[in-house]
Amino acid sequence: MSGIPLVRVPFRKQKKNEKERCLQANNKEFNEKFEYEHNAIKTAKYNFFTFLPLNLFEQFQRVANAYFLFLLLLQLIPQISSLVWYTTVIPLALVLSMTGVKDAIDDMFRHKNDKQVNNRPILVIVNGMVKEEKWLNIRVGDIIKLQNNSFVPADVLLLSSSEPYSLTYIETAELDGETNLKVKQALVVTSNLEDNLEKLSNFKGEVRCDPPNNKLDKFTGVLIHEGETYALDNEKILLRGCTIRNTDWCYGLVIYAGQDTKLMQNSGKTTFKRTSIDHLMNVLVIWIFVFLIGMCSFLTIGHGIWENQKGYFFQIYLPFEEEISSSALCIFLIFWSYVIILNTVVPISLYVSVEIIRLGNSFYINWDRKMFYIPKNTPAQARTTTLNEELGQIQYVFSDKTGTLTQNIMTFYKCSINGRLYGDIYSMTGQKVEITQDTEKVDFSYNNLADPKFSFYDKTLAEAVKKGNPMVHLFFLCLSLCHTVMSEEKVEGELVYQAQSPDEEALVTAARNFGFVFHSRTSETITVMEMGVTKVYDLLAILDFNNVRKRMSVIVKTPEGKVILFCKGADTIIWELLHSSCKPLQDITMEHLDDFAGDGLRTLAVAYRELDEESFQKWIQKHHRASTAVEDREEKLGLIYEEIEKDMMLIGATAIEDKLQDGVPETIVTLMKANIIIWVLTGDKQETAVSIGYSCNMLTDDMDDMFVIDAKESSMVLKQLRSARRVMKPDSFLRTDPVTKLISQSEKKNFILPEEVPNGSYGLIIDGHSLAYALEEDMELELLRTACMCKSVICCRVTPLQKAQMVELVKKYKNMVTLAIGDGANDISMIKAAHIGVGISGQEGMQAVLASDFSFAQFRFLQRLLLVHGRWSYIRMCKFLCYFFYKNFAFTLVHFWYAFFSGFSAETVFDEWFIAFYNLFYTSLPVLALSLFDQDVNDLWSLRFPELYYPGQNNLYFNKKEFVKYLIYAIYTSFVLFFIPFGTTYNSVRSNGKDFSDYQSFTLIIQTSLLVVVTVQVGLETTYWTAVNQFFIWGSLAMYFSIMFLLYSDGLFLLFPQTFQFMGTARNTFILPQVWLIIALTVAICLLPLIVLRFLKMDLLPTQTNKILAKIRECMKNPVPPPARTKLRRTSSRRSAYAFAHQHGFGALITSGKNMKSR
Amino acid sequence: MERNSNDVPGLLSRMPDNTAFKQQRLPAWRSHLTAWAVLPGFFTTGAFFLGMGILLILSAKSVKEIEITYTSMCSNCAKLRENASNFYKECTCSVPFFIPEKMPGNVYMYYKLHNFYQNLRRYTISRNNRQLLGEDITNVENCAPFQRDSNGIPIAPCGAIANSMFNDTILLSYYPHSSTRINVPLLSSGITWWTDKHIKFQNPRSNNLPSAFTGTTKPPYWRKPVYQLDPENPENNGFLNNDFIVWMRVAALPTFKKLYRRIHRTGPFANGLPAGNYSFDIAYNFPVTVFKGEKGVVLSTVTWSGGSNLFLGIAYLTTGAVIWLAAFSMTAVHLKMKKRNIVSES
Repeated sequence: MSGIPLVRVPFRKQKKNEKERCLQANNKEFNEKFEYEHNAIKTAKYNFFTFLPLNLFEQFQRVANAYFLFLLLLQLIPQISSLVWYTTVIPLALVLSMTGVKDAIDDMFRHKNDKQVNNRPILVIVNGMVKEEKWLNIRVGDIIKLQNNSFVPADVLLLSSSEPYSLTYIETAELDGETNLKVKQALVVTSNLEDNLEKLSNFKGEVRCDPPNNKLDKFTGVLIHEGETYALDNEKILLRGCTIRNTDWCYGLVIYAGQDTKLMQNSGKTTFKRTSIDHLMNVLVIWIFVFLIGMCSFLTIGHGIWENQKGYFFQIYLPFEEEISSSALCIFLIFWSYVIILNTVVPISLYVSVEIIRLGNSFYINWDRKMFYIPKNTPAQARTTTLNEELGQIQYVFSDKTGTLTQNIMTFYKCSINGRLYGDIYSMTGQKVEITQDTEKVDFSYNNLADPKFSFYDKTLAEAVKKGNPMVHLFFLCLSLCHTVMSEEKVEGELVYQAQSPDEEALVTAARNFGFVFHSRTSETITVMEMGVTKVYDLLAILDFNNVRKRMSVIVKTPEGKVILFCKGADTIIWELLHSSCKPLQDITMEHLDDFAGDGLRTLAVAYRELDEESFQKWIQKHHRASTAVEDREEKLGLIYEEIEKDMMLIGATAIEDKLQDGVPETIVTLMKANIIIWVLTGDKQETAVSIGYSCNMLTDDMDDMFVIDAKESSMVLKQLRSARRVMKPDSFLRTDPVTKLISQSEKKNFILPEEVPNGSYGLIIDGHSLAYALEEDMELELLRTACMCKSVICCRVTPLQKAQMVELVKKYKNMVTLAIGDGANDISMIKAAHIGVGISGQEGMQAVLASDFSFAQFRFLQRLLLVHGRWSYIRMCKFLCYFFYKNFAFTLVHFWYAFFSGFSAETVFDEWFIAFYNLFYTSLPVLALSLFDQDVNDLWSLRFPELYYPGQNNLYFNKKEFVKYLIYAIYTSFVLFFIPFGTTYNSVRSNGKDFSDYQSFTLIIQTSLLVVVTVQVGLETTYWTAVNQFFIWGSLAMYFSIMFLLYSDGLFLLFPQTFQFMGTARNTFILPQVWLIIALTVAICLLPLIVLRFLKMDLLPTQTNKILAKIRECMKNPVPPPARTKLRRTSSRRSAYAFAHQHGFGALITSGKNMKSR
Repeated sequence: MERNSNDVPGLLSRMPDNTAFKQQRLPAWRSHLTAWAVLPGFFTTGAFFLGMGILLILSAKSVKEIEITYTSMCSNCAKLRENASNFYKECTCSVPFFIPEKMPGNVYMYYKLHNFYQNLRRYTISRNNRQLLGEDITNVENCAPFQRDSNGIPIAPCGAIANSMFNDTILLSYYPHSSTRINVPLLSSGITWWTDKHIKFQNPRSNNLPSAFTGTTKPPYWRKPVYQLDPENPENNGFLNNDFIVWMRVAALPTFKKLYRRIHRTGPFANGLPAGNYSFDIAYNFPVTVFKGEKGVVLSTVTWSGGSNLFLGIAYLTTGAVIWLAAFSMTAVHLKMKKRNIVSES
């Protein structure tokens, strides 16, 4: 039973191999010849007519169902039929129909989902008109209009856009997780089409390109237009799943649609996930088969001996059947008869019951209000309903950063200007006050260009601005000038900034709100409204950012004629470039920076330098020479920049908060307490990743050491990994080390890396380059050994593929349950690779959600999903399985004992109707209630004591050992169930003198005892008695007795005398006191030892869990105290990251004037 | 980005319902094994089992029972029956015995078979309830291997169970003095379940029983056809014959006894069987030695808990004792651990 994987391609038309794609714009007839895929996606499997045959065919492919079909066929052979056919048909029919209904419902959801995606609106140009269409109606060769913030519905060739040079900004978070804007630019020949509908609909360009493929960053093709051929590359293609940003409109020509799009091609493979309990169950079922075959063989041999010693002589009363000539054949047939009788050890209802329980527990996840995110109206969702109990066994969590741990919102939070810190607020008594939602914000109404979304709480800064503090003014002037942001004033007074990184936008917006509004720029000027006064600065040079420089500067000429260099950059870098007179200020600012870092803020230092005209002129000439150099331009420019970026005066520092999602640090602490290891895998750069690591408490100052693996060569990576391991566990390099021994001895494949304990707590940071080497086959074990010894691991600049490789690596050597959580399309691969994939939902169309097994809107819900739902599901599933195997073994093995007294003749010890109904009606509901409602402690306590999660991780509640224990217990139970009634009825009579030991009464006594025993047993397992449990338990017993009286009634017998031959047995037997005494005795003998064992174990060998539960019970006597909200202190004194985009800025674009509107 | 969604209706449209069921907050009673629940429970249960055990043993002990296995005593007859050619030869056998103590109240007489497997799979299904209902007398479906005789005439009653019916006749004689012999009056009524006699078994509807069975033949091992089973009581014939009904209710185990007769409490036997000399006069028809079986006859009184079987009483007594033992040890362990915990905590 699969979940509802949405992005997959189960029934794709087999198409002829496409060698090259060829299409013409606006030419339906031409394009239709090729039968390209339409833009509709189809994930549903069935339709109304194909459902029944297809579904039945699929169901019989499952081993269990096929096995029961085989049994059914066996039962139709009269010579070996030891049970009538309906004992198998009734359960089988029920199981098939229930699975069928579930599959049908699943498929209906898929239909609905497909329909929703396919019916999204899109604008298409038809005959010079813009017409609204649905996504599914888009065809290859159509020209579509895309608007700002809309999704791209197919892979399209960009033709023209509202921006100059037909630039189009897109966000590709869906595809690769990067949230910074990217620029695409159309061909000049097509950008001339602009938004002229007539021209567009007459556009007859022909495109020849690659056939559909899954390479996101590659596209080769040509456009043939009016006889000219133009080369096409990836820069001109907008992929399905991208979002248009900062671009009013753009037009595109559809190239790949539907399943052919790169997004769909990338997410085509959906592996069918199975839980570890599923695997265990399969192993156990094989064990049981072996056990069954063993038992049947034993009984067959018994039959052979019996036939020789007794049956042969008994032939006067029961001659051998005529058709059966030899006793060997007869014995062979008995084997199959026993297979039929004992088949109930592999209960047919097992699989279907497991599915029902998982489904039920999935619904709880969907229904949980505490995982509902109000601002986005998003409930949690269990998209795969077959993995629940594995949520209670997670040991590794792989998390994305952007959008998962963080909100991807940067806010200007604090600053330090000229040695004074702004941003903290103090109460009247001088106490630092925590900023909450109710804290009064600074009123920016004096500035009509202020951004209303911006909030700042420290009023003193605004006052300083109003008073005209020159350093404060200089600070904000710097922020408003030194950047590569572009602005747009669409409506008078409403500025929209287009920034390449959210950090820059935050800084410019802060300056804007405090009265230094960056208004517009040309390639030579920057217009700033300083406290309401418009000033135009001449932009003389942009000294752009790169990863080595870690700073950017601008040189401007003020309206007063001064030439000033403004610089912002990583504090460590700027420190080196300051004028010596800044030393005192530097020290104070340093303290503030430490403060900021402690709060996990991203910081930048801000400085300026006044230049004299003369030296600047000299410099600019050098600069000009360098920038036109052909060789090593970058390096030469860097040197030139350094010449002028010196002796700067410090102004202050900024602190930007990379806002974490709510409750992230707390969640991480809780999960870590639950022994869950969290690795962050992010595409972001190292500094940001580390800073987030600190702010969410994964990295702390009390760690003994933090290793950074950032080498560029394979050998260096190995060396770094080794030296890290040498620090953590020097012993591990000795030959005698057990793990080292194991690795050197065993074959490379398929062994489990044992746990290694380091001598302290360590963190590991590894970047994508190194990871590429480390993940190679000869180094992956080295990587894993080092990484697993660390408390936290952060991988930065990793590709989607590497994310998946990391997950696979842990899966391969650690035999532990992994969970991957992320929000973007770059996380899909790891979400699919991990045992459990979780998607952060809330934003529409998030691809990660579609590939995930569970989804919710906030990272903090993860603790509830694992510690509450996962734990409950796991415990419930384990209890269910233990009990289920127990009850079926106890039920079936009675036959085994009876065989010794019935000549091994495959005589059943139960009424056939009882066999047919036992699993389905008599014993199914109580255990179902148990596995849907049971909770040992409520949700609050399981969150308060994350230690309660350990048993699931260590798989303590259901494993081979537990199974064997329950098996032995079941054997004991069946023994008692047979021999107590046996001893009692043997040679005994009723109180009215009639004989007592007739077959039918004997049968009824045993089956009633069995039912009472297993029902009391389920009561013993139940710790949480809801009304439903009570109802089901008592109801099952009541139902059993009523059905007994019904089946054994006169009416049914008179209608079908052969089928209902137990007529009257219930009436004649249940009135006897001995019967009830037997039942009481069997219940006591079966269950009391278990109670004694459990009681003694709790007193003598309490597990950690027992102790916690006892503590909780102690606490529960008192009213539940409110959960202790431990305010997490960030104690880090680390210098945090500088706030920049991790790419080249737009500096070159700006100075070239390319992206300026011609006004 | 974050809107106050309470203002806009429909914005919380996907909010799950706040019901106890959906939020897993159903009111419930939490059960766990506390000492306060377990220990008193064990002591009470133990007391109940001990008391019940004593009661059961006492009542089983009060039952008077005499069992006589007569296969070896009638070895001549047994030998004779081993050869099928002697089928129609009569053989009687007298088994004297002594009742040392008076058997008060109702006394029941059983025949007991050892090593007779009435519970073999093929044996138990070899019957046809529709035929026994008298509805369709020639319906011999499922009766293999005794469906029809060699001429193809359907057998009534068909099947292996009916064919193997116990057909010894046992008479009980009392010798108050060595010369006087009184036949103990025996009742063959009231030995079947009411439901069997009145619902499960019916004679075919006809004024004349023999004619109702025309077109059928007797089972091969029977001496007489089914409508002549009881020459003395015409009501006790056909499928409604009590011995037949008793036999047809197959036994669960290979050693079993079936109720044969009740002692009619008249004359000297109004208060049961007095102590003294008795004898069974047996018409030995039923071969058992061929399959190494044995047969016997049992006289027994009954009590509320059935017959003389001590098993249940002993089982109760032992269980009760073990429960108490467990209860005492658990109490000891619990108190000790509690003490230790208190010590370790302080």
